[in-house]
Amino acid sequence: MKRKSPAARFLISLGIGAILLFASGHVDELRAYQGAQVAIYAIAIASIVLLTGFSGQISLGHGALLAVGGYAAVIAQIHWHLPYPLTFLIGGIAGALAGYVLGIAAARLRGPYLAGTTLALAVGLPSLANQFHILGGEQGLPFDVGTAPTWIGKDFTQYRWFFWVAVTAALAIFWLLRNLLSTRYGRRWRAVRANPTAAALAGIDIAKAKVLAFTLSSAVAGLSGALFAMLLGLVAPLAFTLTLSFTLVTGAVLAGVSNLGGSIVGALVLVAIPELSNVVATHLGGSDRVTANLPGVVTSVLLIVTVLLAPNGPRIPRRHK
Amino acid sequence: MATFFNTILVGISSGSIYALMSLSLVLVWRSTRVVNFAAAGQAVLSTYLGYEAMSRLHNYWLSLPIAVIAGALISALVESCVMRPLAKRSKGTAVESIAPVIATLGILGLIRGVVGLIWGNTFLQYTSPLSSKGFTIGHTTIPFSPLNAAIVIGAAIVLAIFAAIFRFTRLGLALRAASFQPEISRLSGIRVDRIRTIGWAFAGAAGALAGALVTPTAYLSPNSLDLLLVSGFVAAVIGGLESLIGAVVGGLVLGVGFAFILQYIGTQVTFSAAFIILIIVLFIRPQGIFGRGGSREA
Repeated sequence: MKRKSPAARFLISLGIGAILLFASGHVDELRAYQGAQVAIYAIAIASIVLLTGFSGQISLGHGALLAVGGYAAVIAQIHWHLPYPLTFLIGGIAGALAGYVLGIAAARLRGPYLAGTTLALAVGLPSLANQFHILGGEQGLPFDVGTAPTWIGKDFTQYRWFFWVAVTAALAIFWLLRNLLSTRYGRRWRAVRANPTAAALAGIDIAKAKVLAFTLSSAVAGLSGALFAMLLGLVAPLAFTLTLSFTLVTGAVLAGVSNLGGSIVGALVLVAIPELSNVVATHLGGSDRVTANLPGVVTSVLLIVTVLLAPNGPRIPRRHK
Repeated sequence: MATFFNTILVGISSGSIYALMSLSLVLVWRSTRVVNFAAAGQAVLSTYLGYEAMSRLHNYWLSLPIAVIAGALISALVESCVMRPLAKRSKGTAVESIAPVIATLGILGLIRGVVGLIWGNTFLQYTSPLSSKGFTIGHTTIPFSPLNAAIVIGAAIVLAIFAAIFRFTRLGLALRAASFQPEISRLSGIRVDRIRTIGWAFAGAAGALAGALVTPTAYLSPNSLDLLLVSGFVAAVIGGLESLIGAVVGGLVLGVGFAFILQYIGTQVTFSAAFIILIIVLFIRPQGIFGRGGSREA
């Protein structure tokens, strides 16, 4: 991470955004959809990078926090009729609240306990939807952010619009996180991760730093959950499975767990793998079985190989050594 | 009152399955300091192999030992091919405690995918010849069935064999020593690496039996054992994660607890109950029933 001022980073984000949004006009719907997917995955992976890479906590249950954000956003729209940008915000806030509660528990736990607890959460939480009428049961609830406003331009397709929203959110989040990580909070998290004892001796309140990291990570996860709901057009228990949680961890590992920018690479890989393995599956004769399972096999093999070859992630930032 | 006792009986039956899974996790944790989230995957694969054996041999009782042996081999393979090299590479790095967790997730995903490729993602029936209809005593039928009885007996036999091995054999002594003091064990001539692989094999066998016993009460699919993994983990935490007896007691306690929740609250909380019980245990008695004091540090 080179030192850049927040303003410089803002300009860079703006530049990237302009290029991406211009490019979105020249691709077909499928690519626009996948582009939106990459942006949303990148945000979700960034939330895990923030948690694992910068504060040393692990979560196998971030899918559950995505669910919290998604459901909160949808409920805010259905019951309070909020405009969609505000529903995303509500998703983030709901995620933060859930993360704060979980973070207090998490700060007392380490390694295997935290992993197991978050795993239990990921298995347990989505099924709550079946118990409360307001959550819509197995079918879930519809989420509609509408079509693009007319002032942006004519013939704006649905997925291109989603792409715009997702990319804007992603750039804003990445800009915020980048700046945050170069403040004292970011330094504290890194200190806690590198050596908790030394950090405590230096006067850092470890529990507080960890809870804050968990809360922020969950807020980001909640926001990405709301965006995820936008892309799917609904929230349902089946959208936030254990597999989603594992996929996000995989993305973070492929990104290099302590590399924020890597989240984008991780997200690209996650979206590209099903696409590429579909091509392979078609060549192999393409039965449903192969199409359904090849992406999982490829992702898992990549995950194992990455962990084996570079336990710290493919790109190890030298600065932290 | 009758309902009360029936609930306990049903709880003991499911509890003995949790005890096996919990034992599998505790054995691995003690020997390598890893919570093996791939245990669910290993058990699924061994259960599919048991299913395959049954569809060839048409005999459930023959397919059980096949599944168990397969489970032991798979587990030993996972340890020696992935976990051991990983432990050597990640030693001393910042990710020492996280990397193994991620690796077991990778293995879980890989096994699920491979199982899906071979057998498809449809629900399969792996049935036992025993009836799942309850025994009839006098005029009342209780929910405890011959299948439940077989589960309890099967689990009890295996637990007794494990206990005997751990207590009375040289292998058991080596297993305990290697997990307690690896360096000193190495100095006294125990091949710690090999002993660890054997520990993993035992764990795989326990998990495989849990999978093969629980599947006849439900169905078989690539992720049908996820909930069993979570229950096993909760049971292990109740028991203190270190203690083998604790793992078994934790499993039984959790099974009976679940049975009461299902009986008196309803089936809709099945999935969240494990999480709630886990949180309560971690807050009230984080070291578990049989755990030593001190904090829950990795």
